[in-house]
Amino acid sequence: MIALSSPDILGSPPALACTQLAKHYGGVRALAGVDWELQPGEVHALCGENGAGKSTLARICAGITRPDSGEIRVDGIPASWSGSDEARRQGIGIILQELDLFAHLTVAENIALGNPALEESRWVSFEKLADAVAPHLRDAGIPVDPGTLLGELSISQWQLVAIAKVLSLDARVIFMDEPTSALTEDAVERLFTVIASLKARGVAIAYVSHKMSEIFRICDRISVMRDGEMVSTMRRQDTSIAEVIQQMVGRPVGAREATPPEDPKISVLGVWKLSTRKLRGVSFDLADGEILGVAGLVGSGRTELARALFGMTRVTSGRVTLADGDYRPRSVSDAMRRRLVLVPEDRRRDGLFMRMSVRENTSLAALRRYARMGWIDGAREAEEAREQLDETHTTYGDAGQPVDALSGGNQQKVLLSKWLLTRPKVCFLDDPTRGIDVGAKEDIYRLIAALAEEGVGIVWVSSELPELLANSHRIMVLHEGALRGILDSADATQEEVMRLATGGKGDGP
Amino acid sequence: MSAAAGGALGSARRAARPFIGLVLVLILGVISSPRGAGGSIVFLSAGNLTDILLQQGEIGIIALAMTLVVIAGGIDLSVGSVLAFSASLAGLLLVRWAPHIPAGAQIAATVAAVLALGAAIGAVNGAIITRLRLQPFVMTLAAMIGVRGLTKWMTGNTNIDFGFDAAASARFSDIFSHKPLILSAWAVLAVAAHLVLARTTYGRYLRAIGENEKAAFFTGLPIRMARTATYVACGAAAALAGLIHAARSHQGNPNDGVAYELDVIAAVVIGGTALSGGQGSILGTVTGTLVLGVLTNVLRLRMVDSNVELMAKALIIIVAVWLQRRDRNAPSA
Repeated sequence: MIALSSPDILGSPPALACTQLAKHYGGVRALAGVDWELQPGEVHALCGENGAGKSTLARICAGITRPDSGEIRVDGIPASWSGSDEARRQGIGIILQELDLFAHLTVAENIALGNPALEESRWVSFEKLADAVAPHLRDAGIPVDPGTLLGELSISQWQLVAIAKVLSLDARVIFMDEPTSALTEDAVERLFTVIASLKARGVAIAYVSHKMSEIFRICDRISVMRDGEMVSTMRRQDTSIAEVIQQMVGRPVGAREATPPEDPKISVLGVWKLSTRKLRGVSFDLADGEILGVAGLVGSGRTELARALFGMTRVTSGRVTLADGDYRPRSVSDAMRRRLVLVPEDRRRDGLFMRMSVRENTSLAALRRYARMGWIDGAREAEEAREQLDETHTTYGDAGQPVDALSGGNQQKVLLSKWLLTRPKVCFLDDPTRGIDVGAKEDIYRLIAALAEEGVGIVWVSSELPELLANSHRIMVLHEGALRGILDSADATQEEVMRLATGGKGDGP
Repeated sequence: MSAAAGGALGSARRAARPFIGLVLVLILGVISSPRGAGGSIVFLSAGNLTDILLQQGEIGIIALAMTLVVIAGGIDLSVGSVLAFSASLAGLLLVRWAPHIPAGAQIAATVAAVLALGAAIGAVNGAIITRLRLQPFVMTLAAMIGVRGLTKWMTGNTNIDFGFDAAASARFSDIFSHKPLILSAWAVLAVAAHLVLARTTYGRYLRAIGENEKAAFFTGLPIRMARTATYVACGAAAALAGLIHAARSHQGNPNDGVAYELDVIAAVVIGGTALSGGQGSILGTVTGTLVLGVLTNVLRLRMVDSNVELMAKALIIIVAVWLQRRDRNAPSA
């Protein structure tokens, strides 16, 4: 809670100031009374781990999300808006990570959408529109013909069109959420030039990013968030990458629970120089009974690794072996036949059948085992599903009720039960503790440990470093599709993992 | 526990809903029925009740397969055209084809060929929908138009009358318009479809695919095979209905079966199957088919204008689906 105001800009009110902003999603705290301010003409970085609250803060300031409580002032005047268009009218623009642009519209139309000045007349004259948007395109460093269909441009160019769109609103405050994640190197340079010219015009820029090198290059001040709180705001020259990372990670590391397998015997999964469109030569080895934690930021290739191992993306080179030989997956069912299972990250979208019953969800992947000639043995199905649900400590009233009726944690356990019922040899768990309560998390850690003890090889992804370090034997760190290192969790520190994950040098503290 | 009991009760009520509709139209039938000699209720006479079943037989048989298609998240608009194609093809093979084989063999060959070609049309629908990823609505709309064209071209757009002298066609008509045969075929297929849906891995997969295709993919289910099979079943069912239709009308008419797909879908929907996929039952579909049949019968017994009949059907569809919507939203809201 250190609120610093730079001495050189004292006097003029901040372009944007937040006081005690709070936001909850269900029982999850996204923001816990955050104070924060943005001065005119500054580039201000917002840092934090995934889920620290950066995006929520940005979305509230831009009017997309409504806060539970707290106040926002623009130029010292209290502001309250019920939607992003009102915020836009006050000069607050945001460039979201998932760009809100439309491939089927022209560049000019995309820019005009939602802009009251350009949309004013119901009948849009294309020539007038093109003239109106051309200067903004120039300012954003993308001098394309405004009549070009957006779909014909590259993703890099989309990002710049999004910036032109914000410029056309005459924004005085611009939030950029991971603006360089999709940019090529020279596009990043162009973006930085644009940012410098905006800054010179007195525009305040909030720069949400994971990339330390960029932050330390272009930002004047750096604010660090953690668990929905504002931890600190520092001037760039007063801090260091190491300090920022340490503050991002913050918490003391929990007690180490994972004990290494007695003596690593068979390799149940060997990955050698695996490459896809997004993975660059990843190699690692998993022993039976080993728990390998995968650390990395969003977009680091964690999910891509799962997709490659389950035949959902084309493997361009490399080799994968299982205990019983070579493995070239073409589909999920291929993987299942080799007793390799994937528990997907988004349980509602990719994992569960919300209106089907708890029992049907549990038995679905292993259903063939309870059937003869396609005929389901209902008693056996019910029996085995019940045993498995007990094993995962799932609490449910009646196995016949829809899985939708259960809490998030219990839904996650049903999803795990579904896969464990197939008796896998290797489990890939993609962020299994996301969005569930503490008690359910503990159950899942115990379950992972118990599986490993039975000899199952486990690869699991988590965005929360402390739990990953405490419950894995080894930690594999990915950054931009490449392996940055595999650390023994006994001597890995969060700082070290974070430095690797953000692309910093890996040679010790 | 109370939530669980509520859930079970809710689903029981949902399953009961089409029955309530059926009971209501039956009561309506009794009340509004004309009286026969001695004050007997014409509506309740055995002849009338079995006539209702007979009239709905073609729609009812197709609706069984359509239920599978819809539960798996699809739709098949081509069934009316496939019915006309099958009836016309049966006409060509029975009347214009003169092989030197016994009439019985000719009939068997005809039936086999018609069913096989109906299934083949379904297979083409299914393959294009699952392989080329065309929307089921678009693909089967194209099939509806194309198969109708094929049927008219193949027959020169003329009726093929079965006549009474030709041995094969006359015998075919006798067999396939036989009331007990049609009703037992419908009943056997209904039981079979119910068991497939409720007791087999395939039925479970269909519901899962219709409910959440992405999760089905992540579960490694055979999505393409399962969906294609529903269209094959639908094509074969429409072909069987076409055979019955030809026998009952004693001709192969390339212009028959127009808008049948809409009656079929209406029966499925009234029966509580969600067009969004994942949920539905054969019992519901049979009931929905009967609701439509009884309603038509009631209005015809009263000599109501057939155009009014259409308006009444429209009303029934809206009310039935609205009631189910309310049920579905109630527990989760």
